[in-house]
Amino acid sequence: MKKLLMAAAMAAMASGASAEDVKLQLKWVTQAQFAGYYVAKDKGFYEEEGLNVTILPGGPDIAPTQVIAGGGADVVVEWMPAALAAREKGLPLVNIAQPFKSSGMMLTCLKETGIKEPKDFADKTLGVWFFGNEYPFLSWMSQLGFKTDGSPGGVTVLKQGFNVDPLLQKQAACISTMTYNEYWQVIDAGISPDDLITFKYEDQGVATLEDGLYALEDRLADPAFAETMVKFVRASMKGWKYAEENPDEAAMIVLENDQTGAQTEAHQKRMMGEVAKLTAGSNGALDPADYERTVATLLAGGSDPVISKAPEGAWTHAITDKALAN
Amino acid sequence: MSRALPVVTVLAGIVAIWYAAAVWMNATWAFDQAERAGQTVTWAEVIPQTMDQARPLLPPPHQVGAELWKGLFGQAVTSKRSLVYHAFVTFKGTMTGFGLGIVVGVLLAVAIVRFRVMDMSVMPWAIISQTIPIVALAPMIITLSSQLGLTGRDIPKAVIAAYLSFFPVLVSMVKGLRSPDQMQLDLLRTYGASDAQTFLKLRLPASMPYFFASLKVAVAASLVGTIVGELPTGAIEGLGARMLIGSQFGEPLIMWASLFAAAILAGILILVVGLIERIAGRRMGVRA
Amino acid sequence: MTALWLAITVWLAAWALNVRLAGSGIAQTRLGRILVPLIFGVTVLVLWEGLVRGLNVAPVILPAPSAIAAKIATSLPVLWQDFAQTILKGAIPGFLIGAGAAFLTAIAVDRSPFLQRGLLPIGNFVAALPIVGLAPILVMWFGFDWQSKAAVVVVMVFFPLLVNIVAGLQASDRMQRDLMATWGASYWQSLLKLRLPAAMPFVFNGLKIASTLALIGAIVAEFFGSPVYGMGFRISTEVGRLGLDMVWAEIAVAALAGSVLYGLISLIERWVTFWHPSQRH
Repeated sequence: MKKLLMAAAMAAMASGASAEDVKLQLKWVTQAQFAGYYVAKDKGFYEEEGLNVTILPGGPDIAPTQVIAGGGADVVVEWMPAALAAREKGLPLVNIAQPFKSSGMMLTCLKETGIKEPKDFADKTLGVWFFGNEYPFLSWMSQLGFKTDGSPGGVTVLKQGFNVDPLLQKQAACISTMTYNEYWQVIDAGISPDDLITFKYEDQGVATLEDGLYALEDRLADPAFAETMVKFVRASMKGWKYAEENPDEAAMIVLENDQTGAQTEAHQKRMMGEVAKLTAGSNGALDPADYERTVATLLAGGSDPVISKAPEGAWTHAITDKALAN
Repeated sequence: MSRALPVVTVLAGIVAIWYAAAVWMNATWAFDQAERAGQTVTWAEVIPQTMDQARPLLPPPHQVGAELWKGLFGQAVTSKRSLVYHAFVTFKGTMTGFGLGIVVGVLLAVAIVRFRVMDMSVMPWAIISQTIPIVALAPMIITLSSQLGLTGRDIPKAVIAAYLSFFPVLVSMVKGLRSPDQMQLDLLRTYGASDAQTFLKLRLPASMPYFFASLKVAVAASLVGTIVGELPTGAIEGLGARMLIGSQFGEPLIMWASLFAAAILAGILILVVGLIERIAGRRMGVRA
Repeated sequence: MTALWLAITVWLAAWALNVRLAGSGIAQTRLGRILVPLIFGVTVLVLWEGLVRGLNVAPVILPAPSAIAAKIATSLPVLWQDFAQTILKGAIPGFLIGAGAAFLTAIAVDRSPFLQRGLLPIGNFVAALPIVGLAPILVMWFGFDWQSKAAVVVVMVFFPLLVNIVAGLQASDRMQRDLMATWGASYWQSLLKLRLPAAMPFVFNGLKIASTLALIGAIVAEFFGSPVYGMGFRISTEVGRLGLDMVWAEIAVAALAGSVLYGLISLIERWVTFWHPSQRH
């Protein structure tokens, strides 16, 4: 533990040149999923709080947890399962705010495969994202009683890439999709919604919390850093609420910040509309009931559970209480 | 003309095969769509449909060409939508890695040929270093360099490119520096040449053809390293990032156009390196 | 900090020992040729261990070699399953198919100067392309299992090998070829007895480069979709789980597999091209 504290202290020194500089590591590439932060930056909400925020886009090989462990960021956008798993590995991540109230994850299946309800998954091939995103799926399957090793009566799991091809090429009966992204790619590809059947994790009662803001526990103990986070969360939530009310403008802001120049306006506007549905129920403060459900889902993870015991101190209202007070 | 004809013939053959493959591969989708709509279609109806799908399995050449043209000339070169802009980003990374790779490769080769202990202890590990899939190390290079306070994306990218490009230079230089045969070495010894003189007057010149031959491989390896490095370093800019975005958003045309832009970049790099090789060879009096 | 200084001391002492060994008679023996790089490798590990312990590097950043070794020892079945999927099913068949195809193409083109003039510039060009970019496309075409990985490897090794073999076939001297002609050697005799042997140094150069490309190709392709085992799968998944000890364990296996492959090719090269000056140092 002492070792870890020292590493974290080193990380703190490496990153905290000035107290008001904040580096935010995103979970994925620049897209409307992170609109709130881009809006807050673009509209000057961070500046009003006296913050100089740098937004670092993620990518397929970037684990936000590893970046924050290495001192490359002060705060990260991460899904709760991965954050709790990292916490159990000895990286003291704390949820300081939860802009996403609902889960956008679902399994999308072709109707022609004969799947009508979850028990029809038996002996089918399902596409799943890994890299820390597989946990909700594994606990769902274990609750359904399916083995995931491809044995008869179980399901065969594919590690799906970054797109929806496995479904279009019929390599998988179902694939993982997000309500705000991949699902629409399937539709765009020319498959009518009538030919699809989707299972939302939210509806199946196995939803886990998605995009939340996480910082390191020992740095939060420093009142100055905690104060910076309060300002950061306040401005970020202002950005999110602005994005919800002005989805088209938010999408254009995201588009301007996309340095690859490959994102399209239509796609980002639609994504913003869907993301707004997920953030709508949250004022930024984590709902402890959602947290408990996430932990319960993860603990039920079958033979290879994500976390072996309920974590303690993995979230705090200290930041959001102050940020939302005025 | 006589030199162009064979190339054109082979290219025409490739394009013909490509079109045939595009029809064959994209047809499945067209038939499936018709089936979902409850219609039956004939091949004659399907073939035109295979030529302009939005997400073809294999886009036919004219679709790739059009996308490439749009990317290269459709907007100002400074625009983030311009492939020229992204190719330049990739080019910068490639050159940094290439330069670094040459320096490391040549220095290591000289040390290995000169010092037995280097040869015996380092050479086997240089070989093993190449068997490590660098892509696996990429995220770790990024975290480690940010730990050291180097937050720029160019550095991890250049390290990955150099990691791939130093090896061909090293192998060829070691081979080249050892290529003088015993008779030539004996001759220099009878002249009373020192080690340094033998190195400068015999070994180094003898290694030059090997060196230049390795440069073409090294610059290509450096480009591969840069593109691979652009995937995990945040997928911000560069041709690698565009390929990834194309894959993620199911836009095969973006992927293919970036791939061809990378091919054009590779072609230019090889041409330039070949030109340097020829000029240097002529000035050093190497037989062509 | 003491761990760090201790490690540096060990490193310096071992380097001095290596200098002595390399200069002594042992260096000529087989034992010496294995011992010296081994000592060097071990000292690098000691230095690494010392750095991690001395500077208290968090295990989620860089695990110590001892932790990696412990992980390897406890996860042998998993490592073996991944190895079989990626190397035995993906890389090796792809490498053999790619090398075989390149060889046959080179021989086929060799007889037709027209095709050679047409294919060579194109082959040279394609050999320089970042073929790795094709990986997501090939995964889409050939599915998730090892077939798509083998396909990526085939495409990656084919062109570098083709170019090397064609260049090698032109490596014999004009005078040597004329000599064969004055002896009345047929095309095939000249090919088998002169031009193929003369091409071998180039061929093996190509094979060595291709062997490392094969591993990279097979592993990268798994990033774009795979079954739930395989080295690329494990690496990308464990980075996300912060299981860095497992990542490094896979890297160690990859390095070992690559070295064995490279070593095999070198052995065959030594046996085939015993006449080349570079083999006589």
